[in-house]
Amino acid sequence: MKKFLFMSALLVFAVMMSMAPHAAMAADPVNIGVLVPLTGIVAQGGVEMKYGIEMAAEEKGTVLGRPIKLIVEDTQVKPPVAVTKAEKLVYKDNCKALIGVFSSGVGLALAQNIDKLNVPFLTTHVMTTQLYDLHPLVFRSGQLANDQTAVGNVKGILARENLKNRTYYVLVHDYSWGHDAGERFIALAKQNGIKIYNEKYDKAPISTKDWSSYISKIKASGVDGIYMAFITNVIPVFAKQAADFGLQAQGVKLVSAAAPGPLEMEAGGEACHGIFGASDWSWDVNNPTSDAWEMRFWEKFKTIPSDAAVHSYVGAMNLFNAIEKAGSTDAKAIADALRGISYDGPYGTVRISAKDNCMRNDAVLTETMAAPDNPFGAKVYMKVLETFPANELGPAE
Amino acid sequence: MDKHLTIPDNDKGITAYKIAAITVLIAGLALFPFVITNRFYISLINEMLIYGLLAMSLDVLLGYTGLLSFMHNAYLGISAYVVGLFLIHISPSSLWLALVAGVIFTSVVALPVGWVQVRTGGLAFALLTLAFGMMFHTIVWKWYGLTGGDDGLMGVPNPAITIFGWKIGDSGDPATMYLFTLVIVALCYLLTRRIIRSPFGAVLEAIRENEERAAFIGINVRMYKLFGWMLACMLAGVAGALFILYKGYIGPTTMSAFAGAGVLMMVLLGGLGTLWGPLVGAAIFIYIQDYISTMTEHWEIYLGMVVVLLVLFLPTGFVGLGSYFKRLGKE
Amino acid sequence: MGGALSTSVDITLNSLVLGGVFLIVATGLNIIYGLSRVMNLAHGSLYAIGAYAGYTLTTIGFNYFAAIVIAPVLVAAVGLLLERTIISPMRKRSMVYTLILTYGLMFFLDGLIKQSWGNEPRFVELPAMIKSTIPILGSHYPVFRLVTLFIIAGVMTGLMLFLNKTKIGIILRAASTIPEMVSCLGINMKHVHIGAFVLGCALAGIAGTIAGPLTTIDPLMGHEMLISSFVVIVIGGLGSLRGAVFAALLIGAVQTLAEFFITDLAMVIVYMLMAVILAFMPRGLLGEGRFE
Repeated sequence: MKKFLFMSALLVFAVMMSMAPHAAMAADPVNIGVLVPLTGIVAQGGVEMKYGIEMAAEEKGTVLGRPIKLIVEDTQVKPPVAVTKAEKLVYKDNCKALIGVFSSGVGLALAQNIDKLNVPFLTTHVMTTQLYDLHPLVFRSGQLANDQTAVGNVKGILARENLKNRTYYVLVHDYSWGHDAGERFIALAKQNGIKIYNEKYDKAPISTKDWSSYISKIKASGVDGIYMAFITNVIPVFAKQAADFGLQAQGVKLVSAAAPGPLEMEAGGEACHGIFGASDWSWDVNNPTSDAWEMRFWEKFKTIPSDAAVHSYVGAMNLFNAIEKAGSTDAKAIADALRGISYDGPYGTVRISAKDNCMRNDAVLTETMAAPDNPFGAKVYMKVLETFPANELGPAE
Repeated sequence: MDKHLTIPDNDKGITAYKIAAITVLIAGLALFPFVITNRFYISLINEMLIYGLLAMSLDVLLGYTGLLSFMHNAYLGISAYVVGLFLIHISPSSLWLALVAGVIFTSVVALPVGWVQVRTGGLAFALLTLAFGMMFHTIVWKWYGLTGGDDGLMGVPNPAITIFGWKIGDSGDPATMYLFTLVIVALCYLLTRRIIRSPFGAVLEAIRENEERAAFIGINVRMYKLFGWMLACMLAGVAGALFILYKGYIGPTTMSAFAGAGVLMMVLLGGLGTLWGPLVGAAIFIYIQDYISTMTEHWEIYLGMVVVLLVLFLPTGFVGLGSYFKRLGKE
Repeated sequence: MGGALSTSVDITLNSLVLGGVFLIVATGLNIIYGLSRVMNLAHGSLYAIGAYAGYTLTTIGFNYFAAIVIAPVLVAAVGLLLERTIISPMRKRSMVYTLILTYGLMFFLDGLIKQSWGNEPRFVELPAMIKSTIPILGSHYPVFRLVTLFIIAGVMTGLMLFLNKTKIGIILRAASTIPEMVSCLGINMKHVHIGAFVLGCALAGIAGTIAGPLTTIDPLMGHEMLISSFVVIVIGGLGSLRGAVFAALLIGAVQTLAEFFITDLAMVIVYMLMAVILAFMPRGLLGEGRFE
């Protein structure tokens, strides 16, 4: 009886598997491998990255006269998994390029294997400075890199009267991006006369759920500013717990090295007001391209348009245009076409530098606050306070 | 542990039929990269072999000694880091020296850990493996200067594979590396099989079946448990060396608790206490995981479901399925 | 702000709250283990389900305090379902299978949580009356964290009274030491096992609901808690309810102090403490732990 039950369970399982949606085979498409985190702590960001790339593929429609076919794989934010998935995408699914990827660990592990894989790899969310001029097949077009964000944040702090004369407590997530973001900010802040309380900054494990120890420590230090480098969905969590202890009410300002995601901010509500940070885009950016993009995104996914989605959209457009320009799907041809290519999108011109394979674009300083009436029903939004041109963010070419 | 593990019928004799079957299997695997040249499949089978070796080493502990380790992958990780660091900093071309260094260092770490663990009972032993495993994971994550932290160890060179100075191939080439892995895994399997079939193995099984009775007849239970632990960790060390040579990369996620759970599932899928079962289990697990996670982002649900159903209805693993059909045929 | 006194108030209260949550989760795990020999690795997931249930109840209009009562009942119901379907057949088999089965169950439940509630963190809306801070010896401490402390103390007192003063409680305790004797007295051990499992799950549910506003409600919240509660019951001695109290307070204090003063290596210190204690006291702090 038991064996029979097991067998029937296996059967049910097999049937479920076979019913899972399989993409219809179109005529000789160009396959593009999409590597995004769909499980783990950054899963929400991964879904938004996927949306952005899907939207770009749909709007672009074809390259070289052939349909674009996206094959999505979950990296689980684990480098070895991502490498295995990349091998599957390239060797088995015959993908001509890889796009996406969150976390420098995953990005660098892929870069390590890119000679073997021999396809261009364009990342939208690997922010490490190690990516500059790393490999002829590795590119970045997406979220601002660590050095660019630090420059943006320091410029932002200096530009705002209510941020300028504060002492900042630096608290980061304990992983390479957090360390890099913390160190770059501290170095630049010191050069520019911004006071830092703890030059030997605090590192909290990524798994931290209860921030009360860190908040008590900040309370005890008596600072009036916090510079935080957290994985985006933890930003509202920290802000909420700090608000519980009354930090913001006592006039402490929060500056973040990464832009919080809109869905997470909605969940955090009022506690998420008053977070400053440099980013390249928020839906408060007002130009016809941006406004039209927001509405198309909203119509398609019924999700508040996020910077993760827009970065990935622009990155994907740069990649698709490069394949078109290359005239073939040859790895070297696409890579050559990617160098120096640019795309005019929701946040202006995003150009991939021919010198170091990484993008240059304008940035904005935003503050989160109660949103005005908007089509997305968002209650919190990132208001644009300042705009910085690409050449001020660097690095020099 | 008061209740017994379900060990599938495992005929221990060596028959001509068995030798022939093993030879055909190994020959088939050896010919594989010449028939199917798609690198994805070569990589996939290579990964199955490496994890198969790790699962087999856990079987020595779980299936033969009756001790559960939640994070056996930690020892694969330690060895992989040592081999990688050896190749980067000490000698980029000494493949065999690096391998030996990896296994020795892993044993040096495993010895005091094992000493503490065998002093506690079965369940506390299992929970302690989790605590020590988490500790190693955290140390590797934190020691940026040496390990590269969460970015992992990069730039591991690919040494040439040589035997007595005679160069066979380059470890950077997937097919060569695959054949090298196959040879090492096969050797480890035969060696472990020899050890397990010896009186030493019989003592381990006696401890698994009834620890008290084993102690009554004068067996130093703790010492034998420690031997079992050390053997398992050394085999995991070999798997770690193969891992870094094949991937050229190691990061802390390979040493996480979740990866450890995967190894446990491989053993269970294949069948406890059979040595070759876990090799099959690793192959099935890696295939299923690859297949499910490609299809749905909710792969955790299906993976969990498979494990629950397996434990409930097929505790002997797929190896046990064979004897089940045999019995079915007789009825 | 500042001041050594107010900081020590903060640290003390923080460690009590943290230790208190550990205590409730660990006690649930301990009761299930002590009475029915099941080490439930899905316990962290049940804790997470408790937190999500509390969140959902408050969003559909229930008061936070009502949610603290209802959510654990829901988690207990899930526990009952699990016990009847997949846990009870495991009793006849080696512990190894239970461990692996509940590990699989953990993946399954975590996946379901993610599918039902999504990946983004969730926040519980607290009643306005406890949403402020209160000055204690110069420190502004959140009122709801103090309320949480009282709830933890209430739950633990209630549990101790139940186990020591009621007939059912006494039977349960007896069953944990000499199960054979209890079944000789004509008590159906099956009911004891069900009762223990459901009670343990309810405790996980309570812990999850009260931890919701304190920490982060996200699909991974159960993992850390599972590991921490393991550390607690191993240090306290497996199956020892008294030992768990000391161990939970110890770990809560060590983790809070380490996070405050050393920051970086807080968790390594906790794991090392566990290894050292077990090396010298394999039966836990009070020497009452089971030795299997």
